[in-house]
Amino acid sequence: MKKYILLLIITLTYLDGCTPDDRMHIRFWHQMQVGERAVTERQIQRFMEQNPDVRVELLYKETEQLRNDFIIASYARQGPEIVYGPSDMIGLLATLEVIRPLEDFFDEEYLDLFYAKAKVWYEGHLYQLADKLGNHLALVYNKDLLSKPPETTDELIEIGKELTKDLTGNGRIDQYGLVWNYTEPFFYVPFLTGFGGQVMNDEQTRPTLDTEANVRALNFIQELRDVHRIVPREADYEIADALFKEGRAAMIINGDWSWGGYMSAGIDIGVAPIPRVSETGLWASPMVSTKGFSINEYIDDEKLPMALELIRFLNEPENQLEVTEAVKTFPTRLEAMEDPIVTRDSILVNSRRQIEVGTTMPIVPELRAIWDSMRPNYQAVLNSQKTAEVAARDMQSLSERRIREMLE
Amino acid sequence: MLERNRKLFPYILILPAALVMLGVVFYPFVYNIVLSFSNMSLRNFREWQVIGFDQYIRVFFEPTEPSFYVVFIKTMIWTVVNVTFHVIIGVMLAMMLNRQIKGKSIFRTLLILPWAIPQYIVALTWRGMYNYEYGAINLILTQYLNLPAVEWLRSPTEAFIAVIITNIWLGFPFMMVIALGGLQSISNEFYEAADIDGASAWQKFKNITVPLLKPVMIPAVTLGIIWTFNNINVIWLVTNGGEPADQTHILVSYVYRAAFGLYRYGYAAALSMVIFFILLIFSLTFMKRSQATKSAY
Amino acid sequence: MANNAKIKKRIADGVAYLILIIFTIIAIYPILQVLSISLRPGDRLLTTSLAIIPEDATLAAYKELFSGRPFLLWMRNSILVSFVVTATGVALAAMAGYAFSRFRFKGRNIGLLSVLVTQMFPATMLLLPMYIMLVKLGLINTFLGVIIIYSSTALPFCIWMMKGYYDTISPSLEEAARIDGCTQFAAFYKVVLPLAAPALVIVALFSFMTSWAEYIVAAQVLQDTHLWTLPVGLQTFQANMSTEWGLYAAASLIVSIPVVILFLVLSKFLVSGLTLGSVKG
Repeated sequence: MKKYILLLIITLTYLDGCTPDDRMHIRFWHQMQVGERAVTERQIQRFMEQNPDVRVELLYKETEQLRNDFIIASYARQGPEIVYGPSDMIGLLATLEVIRPLEDFFDEEYLDLFYAKAKVWYEGHLYQLADKLGNHLALVYNKDLLSKPPETTDELIEIGKELTKDLTGNGRIDQYGLVWNYTEPFFYVPFLTGFGGQVMNDEQTRPTLDTEANVRALNFIQELRDVHRIVPREADYEIADALFKEGRAAMIINGDWSWGGYMSAGIDIGVAPIPRVSETGLWASPMVSTKGFSINEYIDDEKLPMALELIRFLNEPENQLEVTEAVKTFPTRLEAMEDPIVTRDSILVNSRRQIEVGTTMPIVPELRAIWDSMRPNYQAVLNSQKTAEVAARDMQSLSERRIREMLE
Repeated sequence: MLERNRKLFPYILILPAALVMLGVVFYPFVYNIVLSFSNMSLRNFREWQVIGFDQYIRVFFEPTEPSFYVVFIKTMIWTVVNVTFHVIIGVMLAMMLNRQIKGKSIFRTLLILPWAIPQYIVALTWRGMYNYEYGAINLILTQYLNLPAVEWLRSPTEAFIAVIITNIWLGFPFMMVIALGGLQSISNEFYEAADIDGASAWQKFKNITVPLLKPVMIPAVTLGIIWTFNNINVIWLVTNGGEPADQTHILVSYVYRAAFGLYRYGYAAALSMVIFFILLIFSLTFMKRSQATKSAY
Repeated sequence: MANNAKIKKRIADGVAYLILIIFTIIAIYPILQVLSISLRPGDRLLTTSLAIIPEDATLAAYKELFSGRPFLLWMRNSILVSFVVTATGVALAAMAGYAFSRFRFKGRNIGLLSVLVTQMFPATMLLLPMYIMLVKLGLINTFLGVIIIYSSTALPFCIWMMKGYYDTISPSLEEAARIDGCTQFAAFYKVVLPLAAPALVIVALFSFMTSWAEYIVAAQVLQDTHLWTLPVGLQTFQANMSTEWGLYAAASLIVSIPVVILFLVLSKFLVSGLTLGSVKG
């Protein structure tokens, strides 16, 4: 028995550990969702056909896990050559010195081919080259229930009231005008900005939450639920998603990552910018970020050129457009942005309208501390444990304290 | 020679296990002790230095939100309530399954399912069941029992109860399996003798089952306490990361937030050491009181 | 009098059935929900309907799982890892637990406590140093790496459990065997171990589950997709706000089947292990 076990252990370690392979091994960790993943896998296959001496291994990890696993691996001077993810992790990874500045690897002429926001600079260095623009929220509506999306919040409330119905007459509401994951700060930002507020100042040095705009926006969300009653009493991401997919909600505020899923669930969707706030006349401005490629600080010198080659390959306009066609994300090559695939698709056109009024997502690590400080206070308002004024003040002071702790 | 052998024998038996555990645990453990005296953080990630007791001072005196002591009390409640129910339900079901009744193997198999299924999805399923309007629990309460609906996930107390219920559900099969095994060690002769003496069921339970089940249950209970104290997964999933308003956290949540939210590794390591000592004192007291290291014979 | 006892037993049995039925319903209801998710098209974790079998039920998730994803490979990897960990856990704990139960030696109490102590540290903080250690040992990306970690995670409970169970077995049995001429080890192996079958079953199940369900360490250590175990594989269905719920639910149900089978196989020894009486007789 013991001999058998020993044998088993030995076979396990040696047989499965490594198959002899003298191709150059490029590891690529990413957090692409399933639709994007399939396209990228095809493209990588093509890349390996063109470069038969290279083996690219794609490894999917969920966003949070990707960040943590990458940090740990890179700390031990290991980890993948390329890491792909949203731009909001760049400040953190750069501060931890686990990713490399890229400005010396790509010449200016090449970088000029990209939309400005696709080049993610932090403290004087280029750390990420993005192939997707967006990751932003927009208003999605079910065309069977609503023909023309609201353009102002007053219209939103009016339409919302009409569409919030008890269809079966049992005293319970079966269809809501609007649903969304409104208890999460990221999903609150469009209204904060619509009332003229911001999460951080333009220099991204400090939080700006103790403001009149924040107070008014907090009260607005609460009124949507308690006074106008056009959103469910309790909604998180999954409930909102389920209601919209079942056709029991006329509108949902959700990100570009979700739209493909609604179409495949059989909902005839339209996308529109989140309405202007009637009181201020300002557009609701959701956060817009990018997703793209960074290079591990500890990459082998001999692998570096091939890793850069792969990044260039995946950023080819036709490759970007292949992804765009599949999952409706926005490309970053100027040439691709003007392609008919982008300019003739009504969802992408409206998505662009939303991007244009959006706020660029800060990439500094402090943002994490701010989200964490906003969340409890924001929820305390929704649960009537704090007034909006107190919560706004507490958000500010808690963020400031956590940022101090973080930067100690 | 024989005498020496006899003395060595226990060490030889322990050696393989000790090697495996020491090999894996020793280095990370020492590493953490060092980290807890260091300034490793976002700004000092690569070049950290040992700075002394500063991180420990921060753990005790730096204000946290929500307060350290409130969370500590919640952690104790969380641990005690969970383990108590795990044991009570587990032992009760094991005793039912130990009776001579038909179909018990079917019950047995169905009852371990909560242990067998991956936690992630059932925890989220439970979260769905607690939803105010559409969750199964409120529908049962309002439509069948004529009770008012409960805002499970929006009020701090109810949310805390909701997580505890979920965790009890996840944990009772494990205790049931252990109790089931433990019951086999009790010879029927004891019960037969008690029957002759005319003992009641309660007396038999108290005087035979409990003391003889104890040696088998104590390890599970001790470790159950330690695991539950640090078990954040279920809370995190059911309350969506501490909702409402960060009021469903336990102590380890701070370690998570410090390490993975704010990247204060030194502070997180010091906090882990504090948690470690709390558990150490707790287990020592518990072991002493339950005489866990002593044999029954 | 006899009649009275019969009625009493009937009532007690009735109560037992009632309790078992109630708890079985509680135990399986959430799992039926998972079944429902796995049959639902469109990756909806939640629904507003209470029906277990949705109107638009589909087996697409199961089909995709087996034809579109390397699910069977993950399953094979998981089974290999879990079996090795189980064998290691059972063998090492059976021996160490025996030493702790039967002998009074220097360092016994410290030893017992140290075993426990390893479980008290929040696991998150051990991840970074553990990773560094595995890199130094060259065990990143090997099954051996996770097997060692899992064994050391499972052992503390296993040792304590075995010790506790041995404590209930009277030492007079081994003494008798020793008098009959058995060596110390033979007395342990031939007399005590069979009697401890229920504890061995518990320890085996526990070790199996420790490695079967773990993903944080596995995701860190196993970086080649062909080495992935089930929990790591399942994580690929999971994404921030766009999880493939249908697949995840279907996989979760299938993942629990081997555990149930193992339990069915082992429960024979769990509940009808040789009792003390039968050996004595």
